Amino acid sequence: MTFRVEPLPLSEIDDPELRDLIAEAEALAVPGAEFARIVARSPVHAKPFLRAMMMSHTQGNVDHKLKEVIRILLARFAEDPYFESLRSTKARAEGLSEEVIDAGAGDYEDSPLFSEAEKCALRYADQMYLDASKVDADFYAELKTHFSEAEIMELGAFIALQYGMQMFMRTLERANSGA
Amino acid sequence: MRYSELMATDPDAIDDALFDELRKYYSESEIVELGMFLGFNLGYHTFFGTLKFYPMFAPDGRLVSQEESEKIYGAEPVSLTVKEAS
Repeated sequence: MTFRVEPLPLSEIDDPELRDLIAEAEALAVPGAEFARIVARSPVHAKPFLRAMMMSHTQGNVDHKLKEVIRILLARFAEDPYFESLRSTKARAEGLSEEVIDAGAGDYEDSPLFSEAEKCALRYADQMYLDASKVDADFYAELKTHFSEAEIMELGAFIALQYGMQMFMRTLERANSGA
Repeated sequence: MRYSELMATDPDAIDDALFDELRKYYSESEIVELGMFLGFNLGYHTFFGTLKFYPMFAPDGRLVSQEESEKIYGAEPVSLTVKEAS
């Protein structure tokens, strides 16, 4: 995969805070070193974005493995091969399998691999950019039967940030555009 | 603005030529800055839209209720109807 904006070589990145964030992105494998070194071209923006992406993915009350399945579901919907190909090392270490990932990004509604709460969270991500009109007051009422308001905001903010960065990354990828 | 519109509506139409054009006006750093900003807004506007939360202030600076704000910024924003009528 080649990018329209090349990742900055590490040798050209002096900021220790940014270097630490890139190392963290590489160790977690999401958002990965290539994305981190591309956004490093704008260090002032790269630092808060990388921090927010990793914090919202790995911290909070919602299970990291569920967020990882959601992230891959979104990447497939966004048709973004870069983020779709990444796998969180933390989620893998916690036992997330490709079988669960494929079920989550596919016909999760009928899958026995997910609880009703997890299916509701997957639906939240699925519908957000497919048909946001379905994410209405009734849908939020259903979410509230499974998650606290803080957890819903945690999920919503995670979904929005991941999808936004996937769409940005998609514009940089030559392999997917045919250009 | 073209980059913004295509990212949201037709990302497959974004090609090397568009980036070559962007580079006439913006540095590599500025293109990344723009792209992150656009992606962030693309993701969050839809999320915020589902929350039915509208701005606290009208375009003229008045503090308005959520009901009035929805009329101004909601599904049929007053700003767009005024634009269409003019």
